[in-house]
Amino acid sequence: MKLTIDQRWDLVDRIAKETVEVGTYKPGLRDAVADATVRPAIGIPFAIAVLYGFWTFFGEFAGLFTDGFFVRIFGTHWIPFLGEKLAGLPDWAFTILVGDRAVFAEGFGGDPCFAAGGILTTGLFMPFGIVLWAVLALFLMLAVLEDTGYLPRLASLVDSVLHKIGLHGFAIVPTLVSLGCNVPGVTACRPLETRKQRFMMIALLGVFVPCGAQIGMMEELVPELIGWVFLTLAIGYLGFGWVLNKVWPGESPEILMDMPPYQAPVWSNVLRKTWNRTRHFLFVAVPFVLLGCLIVMVLYATGAMDALASALQPFLMAVFGVPAEATPSLVVGFLRKDLAIGLLPIEAMTTYQVFKSVVLLTIYFPCLATFAMLLRELNWKEILYTLGFLVVTILVFGSILNLIGMAGGW
Amino acid sequence: MNKVLLMGQANVGKSVFFNRLAGANVTVSNYPGTSVDFDKGRMLLEGKHVDLIDVPGTFSLQPKDRAEEVAVKMLEQEKDTVVICVIDASKVERGLYLALEIIERGYPVIVALNMWDTAKNAKVKTDVKKLEQILGVPVVPTVATTSEGFKELVSRMREAAPVAIEEITKSVGGDKSETHN
Amino acid sequence: MEKKLSEMKYEEEGIVKEIREGLKDKIAGMGIREGRGIKMMTKQPIKGPAVVAVDRANTSIGLGLADKIIVEVGK
Repeated sequence: MKLTIDQRWDLVDRIAKETVEVGTYKPGLRDAVADATVRPAIGIPFAIAVLYGFWTFFGEFAGLFTDGFFVRIFGTHWIPFLGEKLAGLPDWAFTILVGDRAVFAEGFGGDPCFAAGGILTTGLFMPFGIVLWAVLALFLMLAVLEDTGYLPRLASLVDSVLHKIGLHGFAIVPTLVSLGCNVPGVTACRPLETRKQRFMMIALLGVFVPCGAQIGMMEELVPELIGWVFLTLAIGYLGFGWVLNKVWPGESPEILMDMPPYQAPVWSNVLRKTWNRTRHFLFVAVPFVLLGCLIVMVLYATGAMDALASALQPFLMAVFGVPAEATPSLVVGFLRKDLAIGLLPIEAMTTYQVFKSVVLLTIYFPCLATFAMLLRELNWKEILYTLGFLVVTILVFGSILNLIGMAGGW
Repeated sequence: MNKVLLMGQANVGKSVFFNRLAGANVTVSNYPGTSVDFDKGRMLLEGKHVDLIDVPGTFSLQPKDRAEEVAVKMLEQEKDTVVICVIDASKVERGLYLALEIIERGYPVIVALNMWDTAKNAKVKTDVKKLEQILGVPVVPTVATTSEGFKELVSRMREAAPVAIEEITKSVGGDKSETHN
Repeated sequence: MEKKLSEMKYEEEGIVKEIREGLKDKIAGMGIREGRGIKMMTKQPIKGPAVVAVDRANTSIGLGLADKIIVEVGK
């Protein structure tokens, strides 16, 4: 026999009356903190502090491994070693595996890790020297936040804003995951309730959320501009999210979420979650990173890149207002956004042009690995719309930034 | 019986619970036709290896989102199974609601009152023996983070048997209409 | 006095009087039920969600949903 909801609750209450005794409990510090951190007056500053700590740890942890260790390993040992051992290869093979021979002779302008571009040099350095550590740091912190019970509070706080654009407060989780790597970020959209929310979130994060690779490159190359780039992306995320919510049919149910008390994290659980997400990055994203590297270097080796760049140059210069030297990097961006940031001719551009190019590269076509995930998670109609959305976004954003630049005379 | 389903509401420590029972050989599977993932492992039960399935967290069997829908489907497609219903010992009422729903559907259930230590600190005390008498299924206090109670839980799994909901109603003094009189 | 859950103020307590059909199934498992005490813990600004407590469990609930719950509050 099945009971109705009321009958069942009546039964539960009667069982509880006979078996459960609730003593007078004086709320302790933990309860006070639990209540306070979901109240706006304390919760919002607290959330900012947590996210700032998040960001600082991210930078420190990743910097420790990248600058302290891998830049040296690759720059002074691995790349010169490869150059020597593979010197006998024909030019095209050397270009693909190591990098341009003529530039190699000059030591890649003193920055071989980023500038070499070959599969065995930059191709390995990017995923294992930079991104892995950024991704690991991010996922570790995220798992800690999840396990302590803070994430539901954060979700409840940001729901005020995110629900206005049809998303759910829980969308903060895929957003944070995507800052590490968009591939597990797309997977993290799965718990979102409706198809509409999932589609919106995937489209927004594919376009507006930079991944660990890009952030790593920005930290290395244009650290002074990161704040502005993030601000611009956040405006895009909210603005375009608002538009998508208006035009895309479907429901956006409201938040209904359990708020657990705070708990000490269980480390085995934290490590397991961290590993599960990192695994996605290693086995899904990294092969695509290497593939992208291969394609880019083949395009270079065959001269196709130069042809493509000069063909697209007038268009890119007219719409986005970037100097001619920056166009090859914008073309590379279609395949490798992170690599493209490294190829920007920073000396040849004004600060505003660099800022604009970095923003454009970030919102460009999602990386190949993310695109593969889109194919898996979305249907054809949604994929076509995502791509259409992407093109519109880039053109609109690029033109607006260009107009602002012209108005400001930057 | 060759399958054990682990069910419970969100934030009852179910994933730690699962890992304690399943040990090392855990695989992540995707429920066919959905985007919902779940963990699958094996546990030793009376000298025999049986499948242990970590059903996605659900507050009730009236699903309110996709993951909960899958949880209900996973339960419905298993007939020959024991359900371990994990309840937060500080929020017994809410947990019992789900446990009763599972019992009503005729499944053999064993109840784990998890986070027993936290409940004690919060001054929530449950009379385990009495609860067992009323429900007619084994009830075991557990602390998944330290493995407390797990030996008892596993050794008592075989006591789990289907219970008619009328019996439970009777043991707390008949149905609603009678108590109102 | 009766009011909607969404109209309750910080720290205000009451008894759940009525939950509209449809929502009842959805929140039954979260412990929110008719006849039970409920307390407003928090309301987020700009019409964000509320956090309510029932039986020592806290739940974050959107204001639109909270509109569908009627609470009897003491005067």
